[in-house]
Amino acid sequence: MPRISFCGSADHAVNRRAFLGSAAAGGVSLAADMTAINALAAPAVNGALKNNQKRVILLWLAGGASQLETWDPKPGASTGGPFRAIPTDVPGLHISELMPKMASRMKTTCVIRGLNTKNGDHGSGAQLMMRGRRDEAGLKYPDMGAVIAREMGLLESKVPDYVAFYTQTEGRGFAPGDSGFLGARYAPMELTTNNVPEFVRKLDGISELDHEERAGLRTLLSKEFARGRSSETLSSQNEAYQRVRGIMASEKLFDISQESQKVRDRYGPTQFAEQVLIARRLVEAGVPFVRVARAWWDSHGQNFETHQEMVPELDHIMATLLDDLAERGLADDVMVLTLAEFGRTPGINASLGRDHFASAWSMTISGCGIKGGSVYGKTDAKGNKVTHEEVDAGTLLATIYAALGINPHKNYYLGARPLPLVNPGIDAIQAVLK
Amino acid sequence: MLRLRLFAALVLSACMAEPAAAEDIPQPREPIALVIDRHIAAAIATAEVIPATQADDATLIRRLTLDLVGRIPTTAEVESYVNSTDPDKRGKLVDRLINSPGYARHQATLFEVMFNPAGDRRGGNAALRQYLADAVQENKSWDRVFREMLLPDQSDTKLKGAAEFLRARVADADKMTIDVSVAFFGVNVSCAQCHHHPNVEEWTQDHFYGMKAFLARTFDNGGFLGERGYGTVKFKPTKGPERVAKMMFFTGTTVDTGATSAEPNADMVKKEKEVLDKAKAGKTPPPLPGFSARTQLVEVALRDANADYFAKNIVNRMWHRYFGSGLVNPLDQLHSENPASHPELLESLARDLAQNRYDLKRLTRGLVMSQAYSRSSKYDSTSLPDSRLFAVAQLKPMTPQQLATSLKIAATDPATLTGKPEEVEKKLEQLESAARGFANLIAQPTDNFQVGVGEALLFSNGDRVFKDFLTENSGTTLARAKAMKEPRQAVEFLVRTALGRSPTDDETTALLAYVEKRSGREAEAYRQVLWALITSPEFRFSY
Repeated sequence: MPRISFCGSADHAVNRRAFLGSAAAGGVSLAADMTAINALAAPAVNGALKNNQKRVILLWLAGGASQLETWDPKPGASTGGPFRAIPTDVPGLHISELMPKMASRMKTTCVIRGLNTKNGDHGSGAQLMMRGRRDEAGLKYPDMGAVIAREMGLLESKVPDYVAFYTQTEGRGFAPGDSGFLGARYAPMELTTNNVPEFVRKLDGISELDHEERAGLRTLLSKEFARGRSSETLSSQNEAYQRVRGIMASEKLFDISQESQKVRDRYGPTQFAEQVLIARRLVEAGVPFVRVARAWWDSHGQNFETHQEMVPELDHIMATLLDDLAERGLADDVMVLTLAEFGRTPGINASLGRDHFASAWSMTISGCGIKGGSVYGKTDAKGNKVTHEEVDAGTLLATIYAALGINPHKNYYLGARPLPLVNPGIDAIQAVLK
Repeated sequence: MLRLRLFAALVLSACMAEPAAAEDIPQPREPIALVIDRHIAAAIATAEVIPATQADDATLIRRLTLDLVGRIPTTAEVESYVNSTDPDKRGKLVDRLINSPGYARHQATLFEVMFNPAGDRRGGNAALRQYLADAVQENKSWDRVFREMLLPDQSDTKLKGAAEFLRARVADADKMTIDVSVAFFGVNVSCAQCHHHPNVEEWTQDHFYGMKAFLARTFDNGGFLGERGYGTVKFKPTKGPERVAKMMFFTGTTVDTGATSAEPNADMVKKEKEVLDKAKAGKTPPPLPGFSARTQLVEVALRDANADYFAKNIVNRMWHRYFGSGLVNPLDQLHSENPASHPELLESLARDLAQNRYDLKRLTRGLVMSQAYSRSSKYDSTSLPDSRLFAVAQLKPMTPQQLATSLKIAATDPATLTGKPEEVEKKLEQLESAARGFANLIAQPTDNFQVGVGEALLFSNGDRVFKDFLTENSGTTLARAKAMKEPRQAVEFLVRTALGRSPTDDETTALLAYVEKRSGREAEAYRQVLWALITSPEFRFSY
């Protein structure tokens, strides 16, 4: 049995007045059935967005990359570690010397340096950063992938809406993509074992024509059944089958051998590089949200060796991706994010590691409506605290939505209860928006 | 306009949700089904809508078999029901199904999901399910199930599974409080954890922490559920200083905790530890303390008017199980500010249940014998009556186990599912267990359930679907079809086996055309026809 609480209290970040107003309005049309997700009734309006459809590639640095070895170095401080900071193409902005390629491309990118998200646990931290808020008892919020899939996906899309790569096993169970109350329609297509999703390839025992025509038989049978019946669940099943052929046709999007050797060489030979290249192919074909997870940054020991190995790979791949998107004219339509569940402690432990740290860490946003070259937030000399422009998870998601042209205050409705994309009272950071 | 009037009627009846007058309590001579139909018909008349007609026999036996025993009926069952001229055939069918072993298994699966909605769905909690299956089999009264789950007799191996509901929650007393309240009382008090409930005047933080106080002393002692004889729950109210929660039920009834709310002295702690350690070492369940808070909860929850929550909750949940939505929705919002669609009916059914030793079988029989239950899900008009009128039957997506078992049955040559009833029953049980693995691949439906593209891809391209349901091994539907001479005969056979009805003329034409186009490889064509049938919504839903 589902448990949906709809108490409508501001303490759970739902506006009581809006709740009551909506419930009253719902009464007139008798729509106050407390269990119907009315917002799901008409996703067709999204069709209008086709021309300015924005898409997102999230580079998920699973386990928690260190802000000090990436976007917020503290050279010379006791917490700074062995790496230097280098200047970038944005005057006054320095990043770690492990990221020379990004250093010459920071004009494309906004760095959020003031994250204070207060959750240093892998699982719930990852959920918080993906959803922008904690679930309530009985109410699971959709993550940003599902929200963007819903806002930017097309009803009869031939491609998946939300694709999530997570091949390494470390930490995979901590943060599965989750469509929460938006339901299975917006659940991610998860790729965990190889780079081609499950069940997109037809079995050998059936010909292409038979596969297509038996789907036609199914459609005929379902039309007969649907006469005199109307239900969202019923429609969802037909929509799901209608999307099968399209998604099967998108199999080639997952095939990087379709790319020239030159392009593949440019991204590099690693699995992360290949998956990011696939992500580029997917967004180019209209997939609204792709998450590529790279694990495992959880450097409780040997932090500097770990980052010396992993940061240059990230630097190269991120720089290549941004160049590639720009060359294809997609810089204004595709957003690239680097994000993790948290950052790492400024303090260096006895194993030369850094531990979980959610009080003052960084992430980046590039492309779409974000102001390239901007830096938001400042941490103290040792990186222990945010001193200016602190940002929490909800504000971050509001900013991402706003930069994609999605109103973060837009409501979904669960029955009569309005559920805004981010909690009430939370706004996007205007300073980093174009 | 009609809709407006209906809304007004609902609001009015909600405001008048006083305790039912004496004439509304079902008299011994008025069966539950008639009480239901009287109330449902009255609301439909007030709303001035025309209800759907009664479903035909083939539809009704499919619905009853899916609802009561969790599978589609066999071809033989459908034929015998449709052809029977016995005026009481429906009553006899219900009795047969409700007293079959499949009933206990299916209901236990549903109850287990009700108790562990977000649990690990890979098979769920098998020990709890076994306990529940035994309980349904013996038709234990619902208050006894409640007692046994809250105060489990862990020395009896047959009852030990009853402890699993609480034992899985000992690490988180808040979750235990919420889950006990939701499952047994239909009340989600989680809002009141941080502040007074915004919609429900009568619920305050005292109510959440009051419920928690009954459960917070519960813990795990070496694999057995244990309870301490002392311990308090303190909370910081939205206003004022921290305070100690009284043991208090939702209705405000409090329990005198006597000296047990005082801080225990070192001697008490030591003595209790000795007893607990001894039980742990001996691998035996620890004894309940002299004052058991959980025992108090069971007593207070079933006492007098307090039992209203308990009775209404299970009535509402059983109604939801058979009608597709509750009299009160969502199921965990049973309170004065979220009125039932038919308050008097809920009141009557709850009272009747309490007066009849919480006999769920009796209630179930009444629900499925009503005319409201057996309406068609088809409604040939553009304006569908509001679902809260129950004027048209609702489509219900099958549960994973219902779907998997039904697929197995559709894939099995119906000729092997005839003969002696006990042999058929045994064969069906085998098909059900063989289907458990596949059931794990299917999503558990919730209200507003949506079928995801993942399921459509699995059915379209999954090797598992092919191997489990679409081979021509001996004893399968496809082997039988392949042996038929005439494609027309084979196509009709396939439709009847999968959907329990004859094909329409249009369907016959389309399916035959598909097969004839594949002349020389009919067997493959039949496989694809069966695929189209088992993936059709008519198969996927209970309608």
